[in-house]
Amino acid sequence: MSDAYSAAGRARWWGILAAACVIAVLPLVFRDSYWRTNLIVCALNVMLAIGLDFVVGYAGQLNLGQSAFYGIGAYVSTLLIMRLGLPFWPAFVCGVVASALSGMVLSLFAVRLRGHYLAIASLGFAVITYQVLLNWISLTQGPLGIYGIAPPPPVGLPGWQIDFTDLANLFYLVAGFALLSYVLLDQLVRSPIGETLTAIREDEVSAASLGINARLWKVFAFAVGTAVAGGAGCFYAGFVGTLVPDAFFITESFNILAMVIVGGMGTLSGPVFGAILLTVLPEFLRGIGDLRLIVYGLALTLVVLFMPGGIAQALRLARDRLMRASSRQTAGAKP
Amino acid sequence: MSDAAAIFRAVGLSKNFGGVRAVKDVSLAVAPATVFAIIGPNGAGKSTLLNLISGVHPPDAGTVMFNSLDVTALPPHARVRHGLARTFQKIRLFKQLSVIDNVVAGFHARHRIPAWQYVWHGTAFRADRARCRAEAAELLAFVGLSGRGQALAGALSYGEQRMLEIARALATAPRLLLIDEPAAGLNAAEVEALLERIRVLRQRGMAVVVVEHNMDLVMNVADRVLVMDYGEPLFEGTPAEVQVHPGVIAAYLGAES
Repeated sequence: MSDAYSAAGRARWWGILAAACVIAVLPLVFRDSYWRTNLIVCALNVMLAIGLDFVVGYAGQLNLGQSAFYGIGAYVSTLLIMRLGLPFWPAFVCGVVASALSGMVLSLFAVRLRGHYLAIASLGFAVITYQVLLNWISLTQGPLGIYGIAPPPPVGLPGWQIDFTDLANLFYLVAGFALLSYVLLDQLVRSPIGETLTAIREDEVSAASLGINARLWKVFAFAVGTAVAGGAGCFYAGFVGTLVPDAFFITESFNILAMVIVGGMGTLSGPVFGAILLTVLPEFLRGIGDLRLIVYGLALTLVVLFMPGGIAQALRLARDRLMRASSRQTAGAKP
Repeated sequence: MSDAAAIFRAVGLSKNFGGVRAVKDVSLAVAPATVFAIIGPNGAGKSTLLNLISGVHPPDAGTVMFNSLDVTALPPHARVRHGLARTFQKIRLFKQLSVIDNVVAGFHARHRIPAWQYVWHGTAFRADRARCRAEAAELLAFVGLSGRGQALAGALSYGEQRMLEIARALATAPRLLLIDEPAAGLNAAEVEALLERIRVLRQRGMAVVVVEHNMDLVMNVADRVLVMDYGEPLFEGTPAEVQVHPGVIAAYLGAES
């Protein structure tokens, strides 16, 4: 039993090492700024998707407000930098904390509401946040937006300076944080906390009969999931250099949820692939104009209909088939 | 039985749903290493009483004492930490989880892992995991589910699911186990196996409260029996006393007393 667990653990670390290698190579393969920009968007969306999956896929709390937490992270860190002159990294921490705190506030509703009702409440939260960003003009400059946001400051190493105005370096930074978030969430879901959250998702009454305080753990899940989204927001502001409320409109919440669903809810690796696919796919479809929205919608519908476990399920099926085929081959080889 | 010896005591429990008196002024005391059965016809308020004991419903009146500690105001999850576990009449397993993971979820309140090791799995984490897996495997063996650990809980037969629910409840290391309608949907062999397990638990010093409407089953295992009718306690005594009590016979057979 424990051997199987440590074997799976080793396989996981190899996977993470492989991901780190892919991250290292990607900007070398994609050298034009168009694709490097897309790479950074991918990394941001990966953070948003795995953060949402922690809340929706593991704890089972249908949160449609991820766009709001993304926006709160972006605006809080940017305003602290632009208005109070805070350096980037302290502002980053504040943005993450602000997102997590607002996530905890929303989770207090999750204690009373579940399923569709929580979905509506969280959607309402996203709408309110959007409206505040849009209308609190003295603070956010509303639809005019905030311009000239600097990228994260360069990191000086002895004899070498990493400058984040360079898209490749910025990608390394954001992807590094995405990987860090992934490892953190992965460690959590593979600890007893993963079992606790799943128990709450499956049956709250039953979970309570095992001593699980569902209220406390929902707050925890929201805090962690929205903190990751807040971190993505901080990088977004420094990356794009401009903040407008429209970037955090509620449709963004649905986009992120689509990444989680297409990738495979309740697995962490699935939403990573979902985020990459749904970021890159629309770029390839740009040639067919607005038809791409139909193709996008169709793809989403097909996934939900025929592969409800998403990409993660498809990968699992493929792996099982491969293993069966190889075992049949070895069996056939024996006389 | 003297009150001091009781691990669990309920005094004057009442619960109304709307205008319906589901439970009215019920008191009971359960000693360690005994099987206490609550029986009565359908609708007698047995399951409501169990929900009052486990904390699913707050009582309208009365107190619930556990280990001479007043737990009346505690929510269900907090009562578990005092050693109170339960199963459900309508089985409530985590159907999407494997059999062993269902049991491991029951260790929730008993993990010994420093907080930082949840993020970075160290030695204490691995030791805790090995301990929980080993104990879970023991519990599965205890309820006769050895070798089924990797199956999905939803894929088990009805009888196996009942036993799994008991194993999961035992994972919380209870001193009082509440079992709601254990025999419902089980065949005779499964019922016999279940009774045998309950006897073993009693031998180990655990107090077991069984809610059941099948009187024959209860007579085989219970030390004390509380008969309920229309939400009120009708009679409490040993199985032998219950069997000859005219009021109980009347309640079950509908005869004139």
